[in-house]
Order: sequence, then C-alpha cells, then structure tokens
Amino acid sequence: MILAVLFANSVGNVLIERFNGVPAEERLTWRSFLVKLGAENLKGVKNEELLVACHKSVYIVYTMLGDVSIFLVGKDEYDELALAEAIFIITGAVKDICGKPPTERVFLDKYGRICLCLDEIVWNGLLENTDKDRIKRLIRLKPPSEF
Amino acid sequence: MAESSGKTLMDLISADPTPVPPQSTSSSASSTPSQPSPAAASAASHMHHPMSTKTTLGEKKSKRATLMQIQSDTISVAKAALNPVKANIMPQRQKQRKKPVSYTQLARSIHELAATLDQKSSQKQLVNHVFPKLAVYNSVDPSLAPSLLMLNQQCEDRNVQRYVYYYLARILSDTGLSPGGGIPTPNWDALADIDAGGGVTRADVVPRIVNQLTTEASNSEVEFHARRLQALKALTYSPSENSELLSKLYEIVFGLLDKVADVPHKRKKGVFGTKGGDKDSIIRSNLQYAAMSALRRLPLDPGNPVFLHRAAQGVSFADPVAVRHSLEILAELAARDPYTVAMTLGALQDILHLHDVLARVALARLCHGITRARSLDERPDIRAQFNSILYQLLLDPSERVCYEAILCILGKYDNSERHGTDERANGWYRLTREIMKLPEATSKDKSNKTKRPQPLIKLVMRRLESSFRSFSRPVLHAAARVVQEMGKSRAAAFAMGLEDIDESVHVNAFSDALDDAETNDSSHPEGIRRTSSISAGPGRNETIASLLASLMEVVRTTVACECVYVRGMVVKALIWMQSPHESLDELKSIIASELSDPAWPAALVNDVLLTLHARFKATPDMAVILLEIARIFATKVPGKIDADVLQLLWKTCLVGAGPDGKHTALEAVTIVLDLPPPQPGSMSGLTSIDRVSASDPKSALALQKLVQAAVWFLGENANYAASEYAWESATPPGTALMMLDADKMVAAASSRNPTLAGALTRLQRCAFSGSWEVRIVAIQALTTIAIRSGEPFRLQIYEFLYTLAEGGVQSQLSEMHLSNGEDQGVSGTGLGVLITPMLKVLDEMYLGQDELIKEIRHHDNANKEWKDEELKKLYETHERLLDFVSLFCYIPRAKYLPLGPISAKLIDTYRTKHNITASSGTTDPTVIATGISDLIYESTQPAPAASNASGLDDDLVNAWAANLGDDGLLGNNAPAMSRVNDFIAGGGTDAPDVDEENVFSRPSVGYDDMWAKTLLETNDQEEDDVRSGSSSPDSAGSVESSISSHFGGMNYPSLFSSKPSSQATIREEPPPPYSYSESQSRDSFENPMAGSGSRSYESDDDEPRKSTGTRFGTALYDFTAGGDDELNLTAEEELEIEYEVDGWFYVKKKRPGRDGKMAGLVPVLYVNQS
Repeated sequence: MILAVLFANSVGNVLIERFNGVPAEERLTWRSFLVKLGAENLKGVKNEELLVACHKSVYIVYTMLGDVSIFLVGKDEYDELALAEAIFIITGAVKDICGKPPTERVFLDKYGRICLCLDEIVWNGLLENTDKDRIKRLIRLKPPSEF
Repeated sequence: MAESSGKTLMDLISADPTPVPPQSTSSSASSTPSQPSPAAASAASHMHHPMSTKTTLGEKKSKRATLMQIQSDTISVAKAALNPVKANIMPQRQKQRKKPVSYTQLARSIHELAATLDQKSSQKQLVNHVFPKLAVYNSVDPSLAPSLLMLNQQCEDRNVQRYVYYYLARILSDTGLSPGGGIPTPNWDALADIDAGGGVTRADVVPRIVNQLTTEASNSEVEFHARRLQALKALTYSPSENSELLSKLYEIVFGLLDKVADVPHKRKKGVFGTKGGDKDSIIRSNLQYAAMSALRRLPLDPGNPVFLHRAAQGVSFADPVAVRHSLEILAELAARDPYTVAMTLGALQDILHLHDVLARVALARLCHGITRARSLDERPDIRAQFNSILYQLLLDPSERVCYEAILCILGKYDNSERHGTDERANGWYRLTREIMKLPEATSKDKSNKTKRPQPLIKLVMRRLESSFRSFSRPVLHAAARVVQEMGKSRAAAFAMGLEDIDESVHVNAFSDALDDAETNDSSHPEGIRRTSSISAGPGRNETIASLLASLMEVVRTTVACECVYVRGMVVKALIWMQSPHESLDELKSIIASELSDPAWPAALVNDVLLTLHARFKATPDMAVILLEIARIFATKVPGKIDADVLQLLWKTCLVGAGPDGKHTALEAVTIVLDLPPPQPGSMSGLTSIDRVSASDPKSALALQKLVQAAVWFLGENANYAASEYAWESATPPGTALMMLDADKMVAAASSRNPTLAGALTRLQRCAFSGSWEVRIVAIQALTTIAIRSGEPFRLQIYEFLYTLAEGGVQSQLSEMHLSNGEDQGVSGTGLGVLITPMLKVLDEMYLGQDELIKEIRHHDNANKEWKDEELKKLYETHERLLDFVSLFCYIPRAKYLPLGPISAKLIDTYRTKHNITASSGTTDPTVIATGISDLIYESTQPAPAASNASGLDDDLVNAWAANLGDDGLLGNNAPAMSRVNDFIAGGGTDAPDVDEENVFSRPSVGYDDMWAKTLLETNDQEEDDVRSGSSSPDSAGSVESSISSHFGGMNYPSLFSSKPSSQATIREEPPPPYSYSESQSRDSFENPMAGSGSRSYESDDDEPRKSTGTRFGTALYDFTAGGDDELNLTAEEELEIEYEVDGWFYVKKKRPGRDGKMAGLVPVLYVNQS
C-alpha cells in the first residue's frame, strides 16, 4: 500500500497530499514527519536524487524536483525500491506537465493536471499506470492503448 | 483517492495567473501560535495551512471571515457551525494581493458554465480555471453533482469530462467524516440539513452518480470505451461498506470480463503486447485492463471459483498492468488457498519477461505461496515448477524483484506463528544448499549463459555485493534490509539446530563441474559497478562462510553512506549477522561511532535497540554480547533511547544469560556506573564506547536518569546475578558476627562472591559520588542487597551505611570527598534522613539475632527446652521483622529469616506446632498503620495460585526476588513490552506512526519550526487519547518521565514520601509499572493464603513443590516448542497456568494450537500472568 503521496514546497508547506489507509488522526503526524524530514535532508540535494528513510517497516522515499519536494510513504510490497519506482514515474509526469523541474508557480499553474496525473499513477493506494504515454492519454480521457 | 484532496497555500485560487512570488506564504508556518487542544489539533492543522495561504493572498480578513466567504451565498447559515477553532489559529499575516476566487464563486461558475456548455469559452474556462482550482479544496460539495452529471452527459470536451470523472469520484469517496487535507470545506451534509431551503446531501446525489456511472460502465459502444474505463474507475472509489454498490460493481466487472476475457486472444508480441494489434483486440485489452484494475480494488473473494477463474485469466491478458493486478490478486489468494490457485494456473514462464516490475514481484510472492504450501506435498512437480520460476527471479534485472525473490526464499513472508522460525530456518537452508538448476537461458543475464547449475547463495551474494556498490540510497537501504533478513533466517537456522549448517562447506560441493572462470563472472546484469575481487576468489574454494565474510565486508563499508537511515539498516543487518562466536569489537566500534553522530533520530536509535531485543529472542546465547551493545546505547545516546525498552533488554538479557553469563551480564549493565562523568564539549571520546557523550544538558540529564535506573537495577538484580541470597546462604550460622573487622570482611566477601562484591563497590561509590538522585537510589539499592544477602555482605553494607550516617566515612574514602563537593557528615551526604530507617531495619535484625543467640545459649547452657511462650515471642519478632523488611524490598516470606539461619529450626517448630503457614503478617498493625499493606496487597485478589507460596521452587523465588522470573513485570511495563512485541512480531507495519511523535518530542531533536512543533505536541496528546496503551506518553515523551515511573514503584512509598526530593514527587505516581510492583504482587500472591487461613503447611520450606492452584496468563511472545513436552505459543494467547517447575510453566491453552497440543511446558518468561 502506498500510504501517502505528498508534495511540499521548499519551505515545507504542503501542496498536494493523498493518504490511503491512514487514519485521519495519524495523517497530521505523517505530514509533519515528512515535512521535517525534508527540511533536514533536502537542502542542496540534486533534482530527483532519491533519499530514503524508514520507520519500523514503513518506508519513505523522497526527492526534490525544482522547488517542490515529493514524498512517498509505503509499506509491504511498496518498499524503498518500489517507492523509488513510483516516485520516478511521478517526477516524470510532473516534469512532462511542467516542461521542466517546476518552480512553485509553474507547479501551481498546472495543479489540476498534476492532480489528474497522480490520480492515474496512484489509484486507491496502489501503483497503477507507469507508462508515460499511457498516463498522458488517460488524463485526456483517451483509452490506455490506442489503435 | 479515497481521502484525497489537494491543499495549497498559494495563489492557485487567485483568478489570474500572473506570477506572484509564492514564498510569502512560508513564514506563516512558523508564526502559528500553539494549538488550543489536542482534540482540535487535527482539524486545526487542516485549517491552518490553507488559511494562512489565503491570508498571504491578501485578504485582510480573519479566518472566520475567510470561511464565511467560502460558504457565503449558498451556505450562509452554517458558518457558525464550523469548527470554532479556526479563529484561534488564524495567523494575521497580510499582504495586498489579488483577490482569490472563493469556493462559492467556483461552485457558481460550474453551475453557470454547465448551463452554457455550448460555448467553447465555457469549456475552456472550466478546464483551465475552474476545475484546477476546485482541486485545491478538501471535498466537493454534493450540490455540484447535478451540474457535474449534466456536464458528464452533455459535454463533448474530453478534458472537461476527465475532470468531471475526477470530481465524481471524489464525491463518491468522501464519507463526509474524515478530513482529507486540502483547504477545508464544511461538512456539506450537515450544512444541507441546516439549510432547510433545499440543501443537497451526499445521500441525495450518490445514487444518481452511481446510476449514471454504472450505465456508462456498461455501455459497450466502441467509441465510448475510454469513458467506460473512467466510469468504472470512479466507481471503485466509493467506500467498500456499501454492499449494494459493491455487488453492483462485481456484477459490472464480471460482466465485462465475461465479454472480454474469454475471447481467445493472440499471444502478445513484444514487451507491451499491445503494439500492432488490431482495433478489436486493443479495445478488448483496454477493457480487460479496466476490469482487472477494478477487480483489484474490490475486496478479495477467496471462496469464489469465478473470482479465481477471472483473476487467473488475467495472467494472459495483453495489458501489462492488468497482468500485474491479476498476479497480485492471485498472490493474495494463494496465501489462503495455494492448492486451488496452483491448480487453476497454467504456465507462468511468459511473465518472467513482463516489463512490469511489480508484476514480477507479485509473481515471486505467488510462487513462494505455492511452493511453501503443505497442501501441495503430493504434487512435487507443481512445486518444482513454481520453485524454478522463483529461483529464476533471482536473476531479475530489477533489484526489487530479485530482493523479493530472496526474501521469499528466506521465508520472510511465512508469518504463521508456528512455522515462522521453521520457515526461516528452512529458508536459510534452501539459500545455502539449493542450486538453481539449468535456468532458462535468458539473453538478459550473463551468468545464465553458463547454463550450469548455480548455487543460490552465490547468485544472491554477488547480487547483494554489487548492490552495495550502488549510489542509490533506496538500493542500499533495501540491500541492507535483505542482509538483515538473511541474518534472521540464519539465526533461526542456528536456533533450530538444523544439521548440516556447517558454513565451511564449499558451496561448489553442491554444484560440481563449475568452471572457475565462469563462476567468477559478475552476475549483476545492470552492472552498477562491477564487483571487486572480493567476490572473485577461486570459485571452487568458496565456502558459505567466506562468501558471508566478503559480503559483510561490503556491508560494513556501507556504514559510510551519508544517509542515516541506510546506516541504521546496515547496523541492524550487522547485528543480525553477528554470530555468537565472532569477535564483537568491530560491531561495537561501528555502533559507537554511529551513535555519536547527532543526526541519528531517536526513533531510529530505538529501532536498533528493539532489534537487539529481537536478536536476543532469536539467539538467547547472545545475551551478553547484546548487553554490551546495549551499553553503548546507554552511554552514547542516553537522551534518545527509550529507557523502558533498554531496561527490559537488560532484564531479559540478564535472565537469558544463564548461570554462567549472569556475572558478565550484570557487569555489562552496570558498567554505566563506572564511566567517568561526561565532559562537556570533549570530542575525544566520540568513538570510544567507554566514554559518555552527553554534551548537552538534556542528554546529561537523561544520562543521569539512566544511571539512576542502572543503580536501581543493580540493587534489584545483583543478588540474582550473584546467586547470593540470605535464605540460602552458605555461610554457617553465627560466623557473621565474628567478622567485624571491615578489611577482613571485604576480603572475605569478594573472595566468596566477586559479582556481588563488585556490585557493592559500585553502589558504595554511587552513594558518594553520584548526584543527589543517584545517591538516594544507591542507598536504597544497598539496603535491598543488605536485606537479601547473607553475611558478610549484609554486615559490610551495614557498616558502610552506619559510617555514612555518622559521616565518618570521609576518612576512609577521602578521594570521594572531592567529587561529592559537600560537607562531611550526615548533612554532608544529605542522606541522613534516608539512611536512618534503613539502618534501623538492619539494627533491628542484628539486635534480634543477638537476642536470639543469647537465648539459645541460655537454653543450651541450662539445657532447657524452649517453651511455647518463648517460641511465640521469637516468632512474633520474626514476623515483625519480616514485615519491616518487606517495606524495603521484596523477600520470600516463607524462607526469609531475619533472625538468621539459626532461627530456622525454632520458627519451624513453632509453626508446626501451631499450624501456621509460612507467610502471614498482613494483619500486623504496623503494616496496616503505615498503609503500606494496601499498597502491597492491593493486587492480591486475583492471585488464585496463592495456595502454595512456601512450596515454590527455589530458583523461581530467587528470580522473583530479583524481579526476573516472571513476566508480570513485563506486563506491567506494557508500553515497552508491546513495543518490543510489535517490533518482533511484525515490525510494526500496522501502526507505523504510533511512535512517530516520539521523533519530534525528543528533546535532542532540534527542530525550530514552531509551527510543526506545536502541531506535533498537540498531536501527541491527541494520539495518546486515541490509542491509549499503544504508546505510553511517559516513555514516548521523555526519558525523564519514563524512568521516573520506574522509581514510582520503588520500595518504600510511605517512608520517604514526605521528603522534599524529586524522588518524593515521583513516588506519588500511582501505577508502579516496573519490577518492584512485580515483587509486590509476588508478595501479595503469597499472602492471601495466610489470610484465608489455609493451615495446611506442614512440610519444610526447601522442598520445591508444584503450586496446585490455577492461574491465568497470556503469552507475551511466540514460542516454538523445543521438545515433546513443550508447547508452542502464539503471542497474546490466553493460557491457564497449571504449575511451574524450574523456570517453566506447565500451561493449558483454551483451544488446541495448530499442532493440536493443548498443554505443555513454556518458559516462564514468555508468559504474562494475569
């Protein structure tokens, strides 16, 4: 299960968050934990360089993309490596939409599309589509494979 | 997303996309005042961000005003009903900025634009402005649904449609209760209720949405199929409690699969399988995908053959994502019913080449599930088939898949209580012994070219070694984790005593005819970096041991990784791979230097500590080694570790160390006391484990608390460790009083029992040189030992205490004087008040002994028989002293002889004569007067097994005296215990963030974002409220309070409670959680018998008897039976304790375990007596 997908800006304000299977009262904790993790570790990190953390058997993979930091929390089959895979797809999609590693402004301008993308990539806590073209088609309401 | 919503601070919702520097929002975060209440924290936090955003956007408004705007036109009534908290946390930051679009405006635009759909500009507006902005909000107003549905039906624009599906899904998924983040929105349903004028609730619109979506999902028009996909997807978002909808969904999905799954489709070509197909097959494949994705989100239906059939069909679908889902479903089904799944499945070889990583991961699990199934014992062919697929996955180009395969082989996923260890052990056996037979030649992998059998272990080792040379942190972390799992399986294998575990066997002994040159090939297909020569020794001579050694070498170098979590995982891996016989130095120095790094978060440190627990459980032989490691934690990071957990580790290790290791174990614990005091700012000790690093005041404080804990631990357990008990003293009666010369005494003591002598020396030093709190505890500890030990120890302590009280010790221990820094004498140590009652009890005991000896001489000389009155007097003195002594520490009343060994006979005579059982005295007026009887005996009511205290086994009694022999104490220390159990059982997957708050509340964590802090603190409390018991606020919050809680249960509650020391307040804490309370309960356990007047006691004390009463308890850990008479236990299982023998309980289960056994022996430590 991908427990959480969270986007934050460079100062730690949450831009987008998607929780799955996390009780409402724990979300706040997770959010703060992730933001703090980012604040401590993401300074000077290159774009898309992956960082990792874990808590018990919950894994966290996070990275920086332009002005935006992206966090993924997962457990069970979504371990560090699976999350790395997922974050790679997410960053790819965001870059595609924004054209480059986004500034916060650009990210917000494309906010709606990013939400749709995310909707195609992570569906009810499970990684869904991984192929870029396919995601692109799906957010335009085209079938996943075209004839 | 079920609980999704975006939340943004920015001017996203401002109507116009002119560039505005967004940074302005940032500082609002830190300016938030603290949260008003835990209950409000959650809601408030949700509010907080977005609201502050809005202010930065320029609204010179209070939060209330902002909200009012959100709701204004349509929902004005409800604004007061909204969380009133908001007003408090509204940061008053303002900047003139463009006015944002309010929610109401957005909603209105949707209605308007839906009505004017024919215009192109409307669609544009919707796609570019309205919908993206709406995404920011927490939830979607159900009253928007009619317009959305209208758009859904009428709009041509696909982009609009896509958004419409997105929002419909959000309305479906929103249960109206859980805040999902984002800019908060009101509870729409509640609002609609208030608004009598035709508000729309979710209940009103959901059926309509579902209807429309189901119609769409069933629409078989070709042109419509993309929308069909989305409609089906949106439907899966509805909460699964809705059974009506669920059955509808099943119907749709199965209906869809009926149409698209059964058509014989052509074999896919190429990796994706979709390229170049004809239109029909593509559409079919798309629909297959949609159906399978939806099926994956639906609840598993294990008994249903149709479900299984459809899932199995998915394996051959053309769409890779569909295949993945199908495999995932099958893997889950296989975990429950491997036989049926195996029988349903056809060949799976094709999937090996599937491009989807997660699909192959699921394949590994599926294969594992089937190969381990006992129900398939009859079908070795099927097993072999799946086994070979599993082994081939070891060569997978993706680390994720390869590691999954390794973990499967190691038996990680076999969590069934009983087979856990078995499977682990077998896993290690498989890994080290099995060979990959003739792997299918895949062009991907070099090592496959050999077409030769490869020992699994070599494949795995090479892969891991190359992984450790990766630069990717996730890869390093995962690789370290795999090594840790290897360690676990290896430990299990050793614990099971699997034969043939000899690691010096040459690996290639199992696969003959390997060409040297080829075995040396680096097998890693991606070749992040070629493995160095470490792994490239002459293949023939490689042994498992040498392979492991080279792997561990690489693992150790990974400690250099800059990511602390990777290092943490490496340390855990090292702990698991450490074998009991290897040198510990390297591991110790690694851990010491690691812990000196301030970057280590407390949660991680505690995780490693818990790993030590788990390691101990797997290999109790390692108790001493583990204690030595634990000691590093105590000295290096006293402020970060959870003292509860550490103490628990001390305790369990001390018991686990066995008779030979006890001394070493105690040394390892108490070495803390020998440390020089921390030198602030000194860096020289950073890597030395014998130095304390407590450079900041907080960790210095924590260290002091820890020292206190250690001193207390020493006092409680020294006798156990030294096997020295007054009631089984080897010293012949009478010798004690003849050895009044202090020097001789010390010499005699240390020659007789170096362990205890060492402990005494330490405690005596602590009584002088420690801080005030430490000295108090040291004195108490000394008294405990004095009472429990025989001579000459008692006398030695007596003299020490006496001189201490008189202040005369200064001359003898002048070097201590300096560090004490106070005046001489009683007032100098500040302990006079404390010592007096302690001295008094010892005085009384000696006085009594004196009297007794006089009496005996008198009787002997006069050759008189003892009269009943005399005996009675003696007995009363005995009882009185027992009561007195019991105030200070636990002693087994039945055996303890305050009047010395010589009194035994006389007391016994009297008891026999008067049919008195060994333990009585609850009615003693002094005890009652002090009120302590209540404290001590309060918990006696349940003690059902009290019937035979006097017949208790010697060892048990002694262990109890040391608070060791029983898990009652562990039960009392529930937070630490449950943390350990959680960790050992499942690694805490289920409640990942229970302890998360610990991370923040640790004083050592510097985090200056006030905003986050306040949020966290309030959350702390909230979480404690919500899940009481899962994480104690004390232990979670601060070391200070958690340690103090141990002392809360300490010995003499009423004697010192008036003292204005910090201890006094601490003692007032009501629940005595640690072992002293245990001893009290033990004590109480005996007493009811006396109270109930069971006068059956006749036999002598020393004969161990089985207690006949029945007690109840619960299993603390899983336990695997080691012999026929032993019984497997599952943690939490309820048990009936029949009797106990030599550290074992004979227990009965309520219902038979998996092995069918109902009753058997289990170690006392594994049971928590209720």
